[in-house]
This record gives sequence, C-alpha cells and structure tokens, in this order.
Amino acid sequence: MSYLKAVALSTVAVLATGASAQDYGSFSGVTVEAKLIGGEQYEGLYGRIADWEAATGAKVDIISKKSHFEIDKEIKSDMAAGTTSWCVGSNHSSFAAQYEGLYMDLKGHVPEDELAGFVGANVSASMVDGALVMLPRAQFDVSVMYYLKSNYEDAEKAAAFKAEYGYDLAPPTTWDQVKDQAIFFSDPPNFYGTQYAGKDEAIVGRFYELVVAEGGLYVDEDFKPVFNSEAGQRALQWFVDLYQAQAVPAGTLSYVWDELGQGFASGTVALNLDWPGWAGFFNDPTSSKVAGNVGLIVQPKGSVAHTGWSGHHGFSVTNKCPSPDAAVSLVRFLTGEESQLAESSGGSLPTRSAVWDANIASAEGFRAEALAVFAEGATHAFPVPPIAEWAESTNLVFPELQAAIVGDKTIKQALDDAADAVDELMREAGYY
Amino acid sequence: MLRRRPPDWLTLLMPTIIVIAIIVLIPLIFSFYSSFTPYKLTRPSTLWRWVGTANYERILSDLNFWAAFGRTILFLTIALNLELLFGLGIALMVNKVTWGQRTLRTVLMFPMMFSPILVGFQFKFIFNDNVGLVNNALQSLGITDVALPWLVDSKLALFSIAFAEIWMSTSIFAILILAGLFAMPRDPLEAAKVDGCTPWQSFRHITLPFLMPFIFIAMTIRSLDVARAYDIVQIMTGGGPARRTELVWTLMARTGYVDARMGIANAMGYVSILLSIFFTIYFFRKLSAARAELGL
Repeated sequence: MSYLKAVALSTVAVLATGASAQDYGSFSGVTVEAKLIGGEQYEGLYGRIADWEAATGAKVDIISKKSHFEIDKEIKSDMAAGTTSWCVGSNHSSFAAQYEGLYMDLKGHVPEDELAGFVGANVSASMVDGALVMLPRAQFDVSVMYYLKSNYEDAEKAAAFKAEYGYDLAPPTTWDQVKDQAIFFSDPPNFYGTQYAGKDEAIVGRFYELVVAEGGLYVDEDFKPVFNSEAGQRALQWFVDLYQAQAVPAGTLSYVWDELGQGFASGTVALNLDWPGWAGFFNDPTSSKVAGNVGLIVQPKGSVAHTGWSGHHGFSVTNKCPSPDAAVSLVRFLTGEESQLAESSGGSLPTRSAVWDANIASAEGFRAEALAVFAEGATHAFPVPPIAEWAESTNLVFPELQAAIVGDKTIKQALDDAADAVDELMREAGYY
Repeated sequence: MLRRRPPDWLTLLMPTIIVIAIIVLIPLIFSFYSSFTPYKLTRPSTLWRWVGTANYERILSDLNFWAAFGRTILFLTIALNLELLFGLGIALMVNKVTWGQRTLRTVLMFPMMFSPILVGFQFKFIFNDNVGLVNNALQSLGITDVALPWLVDSKLALFSIAFAEIWMSTSIFAILILAGLFAMPRDPLEAAKVDGCTPWQSFRHITLPFLMPFIFIAMTIRSLDVARAYDIVQIMTGGGPARRTELVWTLMARTGYVDARMGIANAMGYVSILLSIFFTIYFFRKLSAARAELGL
C-alpha cells in the first residue's frame, strides 16, 4: 500500500471516531517561543506548525532545536540562569522529573475528554508529583525483539539446538531462551547472538527492565535503591554471561542506540531488543542488509514479568510563559489526533488510542506485523522510577555494571557499590 | 583644586581590564564561590547555601576522581612524549626535502584542521570491534581471527584514544620544531662536520640543544591542551567502560552538565587546574634553562 493511501485511510478512520479538527482558539499577534527536540524523526511534525499559525493567527518562534541531550543541557542552564520565559519545551517522560518547578500543570487547561483520548499509561507517565507536566506526542518507545528469520528456517540448526538445549528452536519468549539462543548462534568475530547497549543511561535502562522482569525494583517505596537484590543480581548475571560467552560483540560496552541499530542492520547479529523507530530502517533494502529477513516478537519475559522499559516524548509549557493559553493550544495541536496520525505515519508509535486503532487498521505487510507486536509490547510497558535523580543515578550505576561485565568486580560487589552511591545521592537529595 | 586623573597607562589599559574582568575574572570568582556550595543547575536556590569545603573534602576522598586524575597524567605523559618523538622525526625528514616542501608542510597541518569531535567519530568507527576498519583489516590479512575490543579493553582503549589524540596533534610539534630548524644557523653544523663529528653527534650536541626551546614551547601548549582533553575521549569511549578511560574532564563535564551538580564539578576543576599550573611552571623552567644554555 502506498504511503499516501495509508495516511488517507488512517485519517478516515480517525475522523470516523469523531475527532475532527478542533478549535484551537484565536491568538492574533501572539508569538510563542519554543525549544524543540531536533532530529530527522522529530522534524516532520513541526511542518504542521504552519497550520496552527494559520488557524489561530499566532506565530511560533523556534528559538532552539537540538538533540535530546543538548536541549536537556540547555534547559538546565536556563533554569540556572532564570531565563525560562520561553513557552513550549520538548520533554521526555524519563527526564521530566528533573525540571522541578519549570513546567506548568496542564490539568485544568486541557479538556477532560481530550485527555481521555490518550493511552492512560502515557498520561500517568507524564505526571510528576501529581502534576501533568507534559502532553505526549506520537513518539512512544518500548522495545520488542527483532530477529533474523533465516535462523529459524534451517532444519539442521533446529535439530542441533534441540539436541543441545532440549527444546525447540523458535523465536525466544523468555530471557533465558535469549541467552541460550544467543550463545548457540554466536560465531565471533563474524556473527553474534545478540548485543546490548553498554553505557550511559541506555545500559541502566536495560538493566532496570530486567530487574523488574525478575521481580525486583530499582528503588523501594522510600526511594531507597534496592536493585542490588537477588533479582538485580540475576538480571546482571544475564549481561555478564553473554559477554563472557562472547555471544555479544566485544565492543558492546561502547555501544548505544546507533551502533546497535547499525549492527543488526549489518546482518551480524541474530537477536536485537530495539525500539520502534528502527523497524522501517531494518526492513529497508537501501539501509539494511537484513531487509526481508526481519521478524519481530514481543519482548521476552524474565522469571516474573516481561521487560518493558518505556518512555515517550511530549511537550510542556513553562510557568513563566507570558502567553500560556496560546502555548497550551499549540501543545494540544501538536499532540492532537491529526498530528499524531501524521507523525506516526513515519513509523513512530502514537500515544492516542484512536490513532493506534487507525494505524493498525490501515497497515499491511511488515508494518502491520510490526505494529501488532508493538501494540502487544506496549501492554507490558512501564516507565522509569518517578524520581528527579533517575538520570543522575544512571551515571553512578553504569560504570559499576560495566565493571561486573568486564570482570573487574563480582556481580554482588558491583551492585552493592552502585547501590551505596545511589543511596548517598538520594540521602543528599533529602529523600530520607 | 586640581582634579586627580588616573595615569595615562591605566586609562589606556582600562578597556582591556574591563573586558578581561567580564570574560575571565567574574566567571572565575563565580565558579570559585560556587565550588563552596551544593549548586545544582536545576535548583538555582542551592547557589546560596554555603557548605564550606565539603565539596573539596569529598573530592579528596573520592577514589574515582583520583583515578581519573592519575589517568590524565598518564595519558598526558604518553601523548606528549610520543607526539614529541613523531613530531621531531617528521620535522627532521621534512627539513631534508628540497622539492615540494611547502605543499608537504600544508599537508602536515591537515589533521589540525579537523574538529576534535569529528576526529573522535572517525576513530570511533575505525576502532569499532565489529564493523571497524582496523579489525576488518587485521582479520582480512589473517593477522588475527578475533575481534579486538579496541574501545573496551583497558590497555587498548587508552591506546586508541591516545592514537587519535596523537594523530591530530603531532603536527603541532612538527611545525614548531620545523620552525626551529629553519632558524638554526648552519655554521656550527658545518664546523662539526669539518671536525669529524658523526651525524648522531651533530644532532645530539648541536641540533637538539638548539631545538629545545621550541620543544618546550610546544610541550607547554600541548600539556594545557591534553590536560583538558575531552572531545575525542567523550566521543570515543565516554570515559568507559567501567571508568577505564575516565579523564578529569570527562568526569567533570558529566558531573556538571549531565548530573547538573555544578558546585562539585567546579571544585573538581579547581583541583585539576593544579595539574595544568604544575606542567606550565615545569616546562617554562625547562625553557628558561634551555635558553640559558644557548646563551639567550
């Protein structure tokens, strides 16, 4: 199906739900200053800003557009300098809690029925201390397992696997199966069973979701770090075992998302837990050697639950914004159904129920398969712990995880050291 | 009554003093003050909470900081010495070239023209264990059949970032030493030849002493550069894995900008500045001694 036809069909489906063009108000002569996340996958939506300007008479002045980490630094510097009278800022559920006092509570500014159109879990993850600090855009992230289909179509391989591990070779549904299969498929340095993000917040996020899948917690109800529990040790053991078995590339500890995506697309990795934005890239013959050979399955289970570390992008309005009504109107427009439909047609996942339904109804082939898996994956999604110190804590934890993986420390020692450091951080922050 | 007016020299210097005060002095005082507070960028009110020397005490007892500090000294020592050796060798060879020397000198400066961030990305790709050029070449030539973890193994990772740093900056040494060679009088060398000195003796006792002031100037400039090495290291390894390539500046930048703990990051800055001051004083002393030896 052509792209245009898909968008047209989706639009009809959304409009049929009764969410036609809304009244975004009239703000003639008002200029809304915005600081937005930049990057190819985010830019498409900004093309629609001209429609909002035409409808409301207001102007949008994008005063900054940078990558997530750059805009994060800039916003922190603004907070330090007190220069926060711009209006609309890009935000992310994993980092929203850091911007204490910067953004207004959007509850009461957005009609109840409009809020009800968002996926409930996405709205919950947009709250900080009971305040709705952002509205989610169609950039929802949860990882599912991508795999090379050809590995499961080889009868010889299947027989060898069954002889060695005692069960049928099929796309893995548990993390233990991922480990078995990754070790089985590996043939370093030419081919690896799997890979994982190895540094920064990325590895801590992966570790965190495996801790949850093993029945553990990152912090307890008193915000004390408890990831050094037995569940945490089992989670870290998974990373260590794969590294020591050489079932992951030796350089995996220096990889983050780009390297992982390029690695899977190069055809040298069998199993790859990854984000929705890569689906189209992996199956595009111009960018990927594995196009046509990509399968997807819901993210596997640990001993207790599925993994499902998730997050979403959104937009917030600053407390010091001189024209908050216009700013809220712009945010509602950018996160409305039509905007989400347009944005998600590029492959990202929406945060509105009607747009999910419309996309699934109109998709065909690989995209339909991918959307169905991501829709199921989203039911297992959970956000990072709702603490302002999440990002800061990950900087304390990731070197310790790495130390255990490369064998500089035992698993218990590394996790205890990390927990001690996070404990001190939380104590200093006044949690207890 | 006579109006007192400032001396002319002060009036003339005043614009410079004001500009320096705004650009250097005020931020310096501000950052020094904030190193005695728990200043967090996302909580501006913390700037006014005085905690005395708590940040400094914490740094002094922080093994991770001292490990990064020690690693920075090691990195600086390796990079500076190898850059000197390679720079000296290149300069001596270029000095012998009689045709196309100008073009060669320009080509020599190419690595310096790249942004350190681009150099970081370039070498990150070259040393990638899975799809990188180095491992692919080594495996294709049959030299190894394993994927060497260039950016992960503790020794290889330090080697990789040092390689990138040296690739980019050896030409600074080469150009400065070449300038020294151009300025060198020919008479002592010719006299040595007549007296029967070997080429090594001429180099050791005439050329090298004459080049030493140039070498120490290059050393001073580069020691300041390397002591605040950040871009290349941040891009290639981010200080990891497991802090194996953590240098003072990667640690400081992460603490200040990512964790937003500017108070403690500034304290780290003031402790680590001692390193730069030490190297500057050391090399300037050496420079003075080398000049005195030449009778300058």
